[in-house]
Amino acid sequence: MRLKIEKYYPLLPVYAAYLVMFLIGRTMPGMWQMVALLAFYCAIGQAFNIFLGMTGYVDFGYVAFLAMGTYGMALGITAFHQTGLGIGIMFIGLLLGVVMAALLSLAVGAVALRLRGAYFAIATIGVNEGFRYFVEGARIWGGSEGIIFYGDMTEAFGAETTRLLSTVWADVAVFIIAAMAAFVTIHYMRGKIGYALTALREDEDAAKVMGINVTKYKIIAFITSASFAGMIGAMAWALKLTYVFPPDVFEIHYTIECIIIVLLGGAGTLLGPIVGALIYGLSKYWLAVIAPGFQLLIFAPIIIVIVVAFPEGIMGLVKRRAKGTGWERYII
Amino acid sequence: MKLENITKKFGGLVAVDKVSLEIEAGELIGIVGPNGSGKTTLYNVISGVYTPEEGRVILEGKDITRLPPYRRAPMGIGRTFQIPRPFSSASVRENVAVGIMFGTLSGKVGVDESLEMADHYIELVGLQAYRDKASGRLTPTEKKLMEIARALAMKPKLLLMDEAMAGMHPRDIDDVVRFLKETAQEENIAIVSMVEHIMRAVAGFAQRVMVMYQGAKLVDAPTAEALGDLRVIDVYLGRPSGG
Repeated sequence: MRLKIEKYYPLLPVYAAYLVMFLIGRTMPGMWQMVALLAFYCAIGQAFNIFLGMTGYVDFGYVAFLAMGTYGMALGITAFHQTGLGIGIMFIGLLLGVVMAALLSLAVGAVALRLRGAYFAIATIGVNEGFRYFVEGARIWGGSEGIIFYGDMTEAFGAETTRLLSTVWADVAVFIIAAMAAFVTIHYMRGKIGYALTALREDEDAAKVMGINVTKYKIIAFITSASFAGMIGAMAWALKLTYVFPPDVFEIHYTIECIIIVLLGGAGTLLGPIVGALIYGLSKYWLAVIAPGFQLLIFAPIIIVIVVAFPEGIMGLVKRRAKGTGWERYII
Repeated sequence: MKLENITKKFGGLVAVDKVSLEIEAGELIGIVGPNGSGKTTLYNVISGVYTPEEGRVILEGKDITRLPPYRRAPMGIGRTFQIPRPFSSASVRENVAVGIMFGTLSGKVGVDESLEMADHYIELVGLQAYRDKASGRLTPTEKKLMEIARALAMKPKLLLMDEAMAGMHPRDIDDVVRFLKETAQEENIAIVSMVEHIMRAVAGFAQRVMVMYQGAKLVDAPTAEALGDLRVIDVYLGRPSGG
C-alpha cells in the first residue's frame, strides 16, 4: 500500500494539541493532575469516536471495555508479580487488558451489532450491568471487593518505580494511547474501511446493496474502539489507582461522558473528541470549583443546546467552514 | 440472469406470485406495473434484500437465491433506488468511489484509484460541478443522476433501476435514456428499468417489457406489443363500464 503523507496532515493539529498539553503539565507546577485528566478524556473520546463517530451506533456499555482493561492489568500484576520479569509484567497486563476488551467486544458485537440503532444501545446497557453483576455475584476476580494490588506492584517493580508508574508514567501512557487512537482514526478514515463505515452510517441498507459487508466493518470498528478502551483502562485506571473496584469501573457515568465529549466536539471528525474533551474536562473542573454538585445540572441544558444548534458538533461546523480554504487539508 | 418461479409473501399477502424472467447480457428491459404490483419486491429479491419463499435466482449459472446483498454486488448486480439513497455526508465523488471499491472491482482497486476513476462516471452524468459537494445537498434530480453514476461505477452486469426518471423533466428523460442505452451497449450491461407511469422512458428505452399486476406477470413481450396489449390498457385505465 502506498503511504501518502498528505493524507495524515490532519494529525498535525492533534499532535500539536497533545504536545502543548504535555508541556503545560510538565512545566507548570500543580498542573499535571489536571492535564492528566484532560488527556484521559481526550483518549477515551478518541477511542469512543472510532465506533460512535464512524458507525453512528451508540454503545451505552462502553465503560465495560475500560473495566476489562483494568481487570486485565490487575490480573496480570497479581498473577506474575513474583516472576521477576520487572516492567515486562506491565506489558503482560496491558496485553491481557486489550485481549479481554477485544474478546468481550467481539462477543457483544457478533450478537448485538445485528441490531439497529436504539436496540443496540439498549442491549449494550444490559451487557455492562450484567457483566458487573456476574463479576460480583460469581465472585470472580475478587467479586464485589475487587482487587487491590499495590502490594503486588511494589513487589514486582520496587517501591520507587511503582510510585513513578502510578503518578507519571500511567498518565504519559494515556497521551501515547490518545496519539495512537488518532493515528488509527485517520488511517481508517482514509482507507476502504472508512468509506464502508461512512456508507453504512448514512444508509445501512443502501450500503449492503452496494456490496458492503456491514456487519464485518461494524465489528472491526467496535473491536478497535474497545481495544483502545482496554489500553486506557489498564493504564489510566489500573496502573494509576493500583486497585479495581467493580462499582467504579462499570460506572455508566463514564460512558455518558464519552458520548458528551464526542457529540460536543463532533462525531466522526478527528479533532472533535479533543475539542470536546478539553471543553468538557475544563468546564467540569471549573464547575466543580464554583458550583460543586451542580455540574450535571448545568451540563444537561448545555448539551441539549449544542445538539439542537450544532448537530455536527463543534468540529463538524468548523470543518464545513474550512472547506475550500487552506485549512481544509489539516482539519477533518 | 434468470428468475425461476419467484414467490415472495408477506404474511398472507403474496407480493410476487410465481414470476419467471430471463435477462440476456446487455438486454434492456422495462418492468411496468401500477403501484403495489410487486415490482419493488421483485427488485429486492434480485438484489438480495429479501429471500423468496419459492423459486430461484440464477446469475450466470450460479444459484444466488440465498446470498446476502453484499455478496451479490461484487458479482455484478447494481441498483438505484426509487427515493434516492445517497450517503449524505459524503461528497458525490466519494459516493461514486464507494461503488467502484465495493462493486465488481472490489479488492482490485485501492481508495486513491477509485477516487480518480470516479471522475469518469461523474462526467458521464454531467455532475462535474458538484463533484466535491456533500451528496445530501444535491437536488432530487441530481441525486438520481449521482445514483446512476454510483451504480454504473460498480461495473455491474445487471443494473436495476427503480423509477430512475420519475420527477425529471421530459427533455432530461430523453437525455438519460440516450446515455443509458449507449453505456449499456459499450459496457455490455443488462439494464432493467422499472416504472410506474413514465411510459416515455420505457417506450424509448426498453427492447422488451414485462408488465406486472397484483404480483404476477401479466405480459412479457417486445415493447410496442406489450404496451399495446389490451390487458395492459385495462390494468392502467380500467375497463369501460358496461363494456
